[in-house]
Order: sequence, then C-alpha cells, then structure tokens
Amino acid sequence: MTFLFRKSVLFKKVCFLLIILSLAGCSNPNSNAIRFGLASAPISLDPRFATDATSARINRLLYQRLVDFDEHFRAVPSLAEWELLGDRHYRFKLRDQGRLFQSGEKLTANDVKATYDYILDADNVSPHRGALLNISNIAVVDSNTIDFFLKNADPLFPGYLVIGIVPERVAKQGLVLNKRSLGSGQFKYIDWPSNDHLIIERHRDKQRVEFIHVQDATVRVLKLIRGEIDLFQNDLPKELVRYLENRESIHVEHCQGSNFSYLGFNLEDPLLKDRRVRQAIAHALDKKSLIQYLLGGETISANTLLTPDHWAGLKSASSYEFNLEKSRQLLKSAGYDNSHPLLLEYKTSSDPFRIRIATIIQQQLAEAGIKVKLRSFDWATFYGDIKAGRFQMYSLSWVGINSPDIFRYVFHSASVPPKGANRGRYNNALVDTLIDQIESTPDVQVRINGYQQLQQQLLLDLPYVPLWYEEHFMAANDNISGYQLVKDGNYDGLNDVMKKL
Amino acid sequence: MFRIILARLVSTVIVVFGVASLVFLLIHFVPGDPVDMMLGENAQMADREALRESLGLNRPVGIQLLHYFSNLLQGDLGTSLHSREPVVQMLAERLPATAELAMASLLISCLIAFPLGIIAALNKGKTWDKTAMGVSLLGVSIPNFLLGPVLILIFSIYLGWLPVSGREGLDSMVLPAITLGTALAAVLSRMIRSTLLEVLQEDFIRTARAKGDSHYQVVIRHALPNAMLPIITLLGLQLGVLLGGAVITETVFSWPGIGKLTIDSIMKRDYPVVQGCVLLISLTYVIVNMLTDLLYAWIDPRIRLGQ
Repeated sequence: MTFLFRKSVLFKKVCFLLIILSLAGCSNPNSNAIRFGLASAPISLDPRFATDATSARINRLLYQRLVDFDEHFRAVPSLAEWELLGDRHYRFKLRDQGRLFQSGEKLTANDVKATYDYILDADNVSPHRGALLNISNIAVVDSNTIDFFLKNADPLFPGYLVIGIVPERVAKQGLVLNKRSLGSGQFKYIDWPSNDHLIIERHRDKQRVEFIHVQDATVRVLKLIRGEIDLFQNDLPKELVRYLENRESIHVEHCQGSNFSYLGFNLEDPLLKDRRVRQAIAHALDKKSLIQYLLGGETISANTLLTPDHWAGLKSASSYEFNLEKSRQLLKSAGYDNSHPLLLEYKTSSDPFRIRIATIIQQQLAEAGIKVKLRSFDWATFYGDIKAGRFQMYSLSWVGINSPDIFRYVFHSASVPPKGANRGRYNNALVDTLIDQIESTPDVQVRINGYQQLQQQLLLDLPYVPLWYEEHFMAANDNISGYQLVKDGNYDGLNDVMKKL
Repeated sequence: MFRIILARLVSTVIVVFGVASLVFLLIHFVPGDPVDMMLGENAQMADREALRESLGLNRPVGIQLLHYFSNLLQGDLGTSLHSREPVVQMLAERLPATAELAMASLLISCLIAFPLGIIAALNKGKTWDKTAMGVSLLGVSIPNFLLGPVLILIFSIYLGWLPVSGREGLDSMVLPAITLGTALAAVLSRMIRSTLLEVLQEDFIRTARAKGDSHYQVVIRHALPNAMLPIITLLGLQLGVLLGGAVITETVFSWPGIGKLTIDSIMKRDYPVVQGCVLLISLTYVIVNMLTDLLYAWIDPRIRLGQ
C-alpha cells in the first residue's frame, strides 16, 4: 500500500513537471496564414450537397458556377455567358480564361453536364434537385458550349445555375466530396485536419486561409484580440461589436445586408386572422429603437422580403410608423382593451440574441396592451413547430434571397408546407392571381410592375410584419486589409484579403 | 476476482442495451426532423421522401431499432446523416481529446484537493480549515462558463501565456483542465477532509502515534491510505463524468471532445451520431465503475476475500 502511494506521488510529480514544461513551449501555428473565425463549422465541401450557409460560402471560394448575381440581384455571367435560343432553350458559352480544376484538368461543358445530371438524378438525393426540376435535357454542343432545354419557359432560369461545377469523373464515379474538394475556384483545398479546422490556399499568391470554428462568441472575440484568429464576420452580440470597435489594434466594418427578419403569424388562428390585430402589432413596434440600440450599424428597416435595391424590390412604400395610439385604436376596433386584452404566444429559437430581440418585442407590445407569452425552443423543435403550423406568432429570417420567385414559395396558398414555406397558411386569392400572372409573363418590365403591386398588397395584408435587413460586419486585426463585405454575407472578400507580416 | 469481472460484464451488457434502446426511442420521439435539418425548406416533397428512404428513416421505429441492434452486434454504429462519415470514425477522432482532457483535469483536481483536504482535516475548526473549505466552496460555486472566460482573460489576454482555445499542443490543454479540475477539486477536497477526520479517530492511528511515528508519517502512511476507499469511489465517478464529455468547457475552449459532438448531433437530430455518443458514454461509465470496483478489491483485501 505504501509503495502504491509513493508511486502515485511520483507519477503526479512527473505529470506536473510535464505540464510546466509544456507551458514553456507554447506552440505557434503557421503565422503566415490568414485565420478566419467561424461561428459554425462547414458540413460539406461538395456543392451538390451542401445546404448550410457556411459550407455554401466556402464552396464559392473553391468552385466556380455558371451564373452569379450582381448588387441588384440580377443574374450575371460568371463562368459562362448565355443566350436565349427559344423560349425554353438556353445556350451557355464558357469563358476562355480561368477554367482549371485543382487537379490541372480544364473545366469543359462535359463537367457542367455531369454536375447537373448528377443533381437531377433522383437516386443521388441532392437537396438542390427541387430547384432544377424545370430542366428537361442538357446537351453538350462542344467543349465550350452547353444547351439547357426547359419544360416550361422561365426568364429567371439562369439564376438557378449557381451550383459549383465538379469534374466529370467525380460525378460519373459517384464520388461525394464531403471532406475534400476538387474545384476550379480561386482557392484550392489543402487539408481538413479536424472538424473545427479547414485549410485552403489562394492559387494566385499561395496565400493560405485557415477557417477556425469557435462556437462561443466571447471566446471568438478573445481569440481575435490575442491574434489567434485574424478576422471574422457576423454572429456577435452588439455589445461585443462595440467592445471591438473601441479596441485600438482592431478595425470593424459594417455593410448593409439582405437577410430579411420578420414576425410571422398563423393566419388560421382566430385572433390573428383579423387584419386589424396584425396592423396593431405593426404599429406597436418601435423598430427604430430596436435597430438603434440592439442591431445598430447598417441594419435598415424593412417593408418587404426584397431589399429596395433589388431589381424587383419595392421602391417606395409607406411603412407602419410606430404609433401606440393607432395601435390601441385598432385593437379596440377589433374588440380588445385593458379589461379584455389580446393574449398571444410568441415562439422563437433558443439563440440568446433572438431571445433578447423577442423579449424587447414582448415589452413593446405590452405597452400597446398586447400580452405576449414568450416560448423558446431548440432549433429543430422550433423549426418543426413552425412548419407544422403549431404557433400563433414567431420570428425568423429569410437568408440568401436572390430570386423573386420566393413570393410564390412563401405567400401562395398552394405553398403550405411541405409543398412550400407558406407557414402562416396565408390565403388571398388576389395575391395568388398576381403571382400566377407575373410568372406567366416573359416581359421583365411587366414583371417588375407586378411585383410592386404584389408587395404593396402584402404590406397591406401583413401576413408578416417586416422587421429589418440585418447588417453584416467584420472585425479584423490591423494587419489585415482588403476584405470587402458584401450584401449577401458571403466570404468572397477572402479573394483579395492581405495580411501584413 | 473472476466472478466479480463476469458479473460486471453481464450487467454491463444489460445497462448498455437499456441505455441504447431508451436513447434510440427518445431521440426518435422528440419533435424535429433530421431531413428538414439537412435539406432546408427548398427541397421538394419527393426529395425529402427519397432522402428519408435512403437513410432508412421511413421505416417503423421498431424495425429501425432492430436494424440498429443487428448492426451494433457487428460493430457497425452507422454513418452520420449529415457528414456521411462513419460514426466510429467520428468517435475515434473525438475520444483522444476527451480522454486527454479528462486525465489532465483529474490530475489537477487531485493536485488541488489533496493538499487542501489534508490541511483542512489536520487543522479542523481553525483558520486553515476554514480557508481551505472556503476555497473549495468557491471552486464548486463558480460555473465553468464563467471561470473559463475569466481564466482566458487572465492567462491568455493579459499575461499572454496560453492560447485562448483550440487543441494545438499541450499548452492549450492547461486552461480547460484547470476549469474542469477546480470544480472537481472542490468536492474531492471536502470528501478527503471528512474521511480523513474519521480515520484519524481510529485506534490504529493512536497506536501509530504511541509507537512514536511522526505526525507526517501518521498522516501519510497510515491515515491517508485507509481513507482512500471513498476517495477512489468519488474519483471513479468523476472520471466517468469527465469521459462522458464536459459540454460547457468543451464549447468555451473549442475543445473537440465527445460532449460537444453529442450536443451538436442532438441539435441536428443526427440520430446515428447521438446513439454512438450515448453508447460510448454509457460504456465508459460502466467500465470506469468496474475498474473502480476492481481497484477496491485490489486495495482492500476484505472485499477481495468476500468478507
């Protein structure tokens, strides 16, 4: 027994010594690399399968796509220019330069066809198949030219061809590139040593970029301050952004975003199907204060799903101003007052920042005499409830909206889940007709006018109370330059970012 | 000894079977659909069904459970619904990180708890005792999500000695190990104090003193070894907890361990990964407990000889 005890004392001493020694030899990872902090780790580097925002943003760096979007969300050529040969026949011509895969092979029309054929094959269960079902056939004309034939005419069609192109042999052999990448983008894949650490390298100057997943927001900030990461984008509470803004060696930049936040209602609910109630809620919200004190920076108040500078966005709109008196009047006309107040249940996710926003909205609505019971759930439960229509009121955001066909998906009466995302069971014959009419006309100007009218109607009806387009921001150490934020929040700024050593 | 091991193995199988079935059913019955989590809303109904079928999620839960156990018997834990990686591989990647952190924090907790507990026991009721127990109360009261960032602020930001988070070299283990270790040390030092106080009342201590042993010899040679049984029990339990993954500490320090993997997979409703994690955690508990029992038998002949 004594021996055992002595041995264990010795063991502890040795271990203690080891720890002290290791303190002296602090490791220093590759300091030339630019380390980019992520709030959530990427899941898949295969553009045919990735659906989460982080993977999609990283895949933009590793792969090229046929089509991209400009600042007004119009489809513009990226890897290929297109022409309309018949109303259901598009011809894409690949550009001459910059078409090399990481392996050294040239990207050809065969690779494009193989990628899209793979997605369209139902057996491969790609999540992107649904958006491409309008394609009836894809034909390679020559190595630089490819034809897409559609089932129905669709002037928005090029905007769907935004999936990264993988080499033909990968698609033909049925390989899934979850944990590696063989793209032709500005970056090449180097290594993914652990789930929390992905390394890529810029072709042009061999600049390495390491993505480091740091889930906790405070720790991400502390890592930036200590220089363990060089920059990160978004996903930080306002007070931490302010804290960083006040630090000397760190610069913070803001930019307007396009992600649309809203309050959604269940329109089959006996209380909320009354439009006056929804309008009363809209008038009771002091969005200006919320934006000023909680969201800040470049966050702007929203009237509709599309930003005003979207080609189909609402150019001028009279929004619901903050007016408690008007709100109370509307409630009174709907039959509610202090003795008989409106009681609502408000569901939100368990994200602390979302709960904070919800709490403030709860407080603001209370001032108009609306009593709100707040309930927060983990994301999967919350999302399940929203889809199933088990809610009265909830708040969420639409992320990465480029195409105005979102209106059919969200507001058409035929789009109730699981067919679409009309979660509030909104049913307005006028809106349905407008959407059908807009989508049946090929004339862009007529479409734009139609979308204006549609959005005015939605603003009047309020199936959603529009809240705001949340800003994007980035924080970086002062030795980092050239990172440009963009409206949809992607990481394309990494194409030009530089690090001073 | 052989009978002890055999009995333990049988109970291990029963416990693991029970835990695995319970978790399987619970995770399938909580709301939230993994297919939704994977495809988002843009997917068509037919694609959802196709994915559900390709993942085997369209079959009745009973059949899925049977399928799961038949695979389990062949050592196949399945593949992640999201990353499509084999679950065994994911666990094998995470286990070293968790084990490393568990051992380091247990070591730190011993380094803190033994001196504290002994000092407190030998100075019962005096200032030393009160200070030591005050320190341990503090240790158990500070939650890890606070202690972690405070330690980072002091040792990484102000002093610049240690990395903030991540798992790059031994130095990155120090702060998470201290964070976990202090909380454990608090409980452990109280246990050491109380059992030591009890043992110090025993006749053989008086005999040892009467023989002329020094104070140091009495405590280290006679009292402490005899106080070890309950302490080892507690250490075993703590090791079990630690090997099950320390979710908060792992999250704060971006430590790629089992706890974080479990929570992440629950959030994503990644059924096979959740099941794999829980199976591993329950197995670890059972094994650590079994080893503790064996250690008992080895240390204390009364148990070994069945008296």
